[in-house]
Amino acid sequence: MSSRFERFALYLTVPAGLLVILLYALPILQVLGLSLTEGQGAIANYERLFTSRAVAGVVQTTLAVSISTTVITMVIAYVIAFGMIHMSDRQRKVALLMVSIPFWVSVLVRAFAWITILRSQGVLNSGLMSIGAITEPIQLVYNRVGVTIGMVHYMVPFAVLLLYANLTDIDRRVVQAARSLGARPVSVFLRVWLPMSLPGIAVASLFILVFSLGFLITPALLGGGRTLMIAEYISVQISNTGRWDLATSLSAALLIVVGLLLALALRSPAMRAAFGGSSK
Amino acid sequence: MSARTRNRLLMAVVWLFLLLLFLPVLVVIPVSVTDKSYLSLPADGISFEHYGSLTDPAKGWVPSFRNSALAAIATAIMATGIAAAFAVGAWIRSGWWPSAVRLLMLSPLIVPPIIYAVGMVRVLSKVSMLDTFWGVLVVHVVLSLPMAFLAIAASLANLDNRMVTAARSLGARPITIFGRVILPNIAPGLAAGAFLAFITSWDEITVTLFITARHFVTLPRRIYTSITDSIDPALAAIAAVLLIATMAVLIAQTLLKGRGARAGSAK
Repeated sequence: MSSRFERFALYLTVPAGLLVILLYALPILQVLGLSLTEGQGAIANYERLFTSRAVAGVVQTTLAVSISTTVITMVIAYVIAFGMIHMSDRQRKVALLMVSIPFWVSVLVRAFAWITILRSQGVLNSGLMSIGAITEPIQLVYNRVGVTIGMVHYMVPFAVLLLYANLTDIDRRVVQAARSLGARPVSVFLRVWLPMSLPGIAVASLFILVFSLGFLITPALLGGGRTLMIAEYISVQISNTGRWDLATSLSAALLIVVGLLLALALRSPAMRAAFGGSSK
Repeated sequence: MSARTRNRLLMAVVWLFLLLLFLPVLVVIPVSVTDKSYLSLPADGISFEHYGSLTDPAKGWVPSFRNSALAAIATAIMATGIAAAFAVGAWIRSGWWPSAVRLLMLSPLIVPPIIYAVGMVRVLSKVSMLDTFWGVLVVHVVLSLPMAFLAIAASLANLDNRMVTAARSLGARPITIFGRVILPNIAPGLAAGAFLAFITSWDEITVTLFITARHFVTLPRRIYTSITDSIDPALAAIAAVLLIATMAVLIAQTLLKGRGARAGSAK
């Protein structure tokens, strides 16, 4: 049945369809295409990803920083989200503001704030030196420590909002039942809260990991060129050295890794439910 | 350790984490009123001269602010229009085409923007649109569509489609149904979508970094250059302005919501 009304509905989807195909999907497909044809061709381009020492170093840094960011973020975010569902309404409002303000503030403002705090003449080092806790400034930024601090600070609000939504959906009567059956608080947490929040933890970790792997701004600003992650390395290939073969093959590899992570995640029913729920 | 002390201890940790999340961004406010010419906390009194230097034409903050406002307003209009049309179309008619478009449209939420940046540098340089308003607009619209679409689709999900059925059975033309039945009923979603699209464009930096250079400099682009070149207190001033604006909007929203909820419960 294709009435006039249904045809009209179809026309309405055309501008968005054309836009995302021509100006999103094709440019990305072109990156994949270029990774096969630029430079000395596909085999050389992809072989280099496994043989180049520079690439190996960047991949190692990216994985180390992304995984530690994800783990630290999830611990902090879970504690905050778990605390938030046990707060009074008034406290929760304040807590939500303290999460949403950093969430909405520009990533550049946040990176700049951390540089101000962490650099050697910064707020933290000069404060510690003036109270005599240290005599030499500690190197806290323009290295992995600084990048990880900045990234965790960027990711925690995301993770809190995802986990908080998940924890509020948990049926509190199960918790009450466990308590009334005499479970100790530790067992209530380990055997009720934690298992029931696993889908939320999985979704949030996946998002944080994927965001971290491809993150450019915070690592670039807080790494100061010394802690090089994959996105910044790609950007250097384009802007400074004009190595399109390397830039496109690394981009393609990153896209494939993200795609595999998503595909893997969608195999679990809990994840499918979490993603399916948001699509309509 | 009694249960009460344990709970208190847990809550203390929760608030400590919240403070660690919130306090660091506030540091830009005292630094912006420093009396020194370099980045530092104010030592012997406060000064607003760094705010004054934001209007210095040689520094280019004003044009970048104007460019960002222009791009964000244009993006909000375009993205809301395109997303609304698509959301309504897909709401009426399901099938492979709307599902495929929706999947592509939502991809920027998860696909690393650096990959899109690499692709768009090539595309825009081919059509000589690098470093132009139109190049930035196209990219910002594509990146704003997901949030605009999600806001509008959420609003549509609450729309009773018997209204549409009624309008159809009364012989209304499709365009009339769209304009006079559907759109007025999803107005809150349209407003939320436009607002989210505006913010996405206003904040966008990763892709913008690659497709702009000197002619069309947006505010985030200007801030980025400034952080990498020379960190000076003017940067703290602009950061403080952005931070205070964000806080004002969020606090106002929290207070308004609180008032609405109280008024609702009083009835």
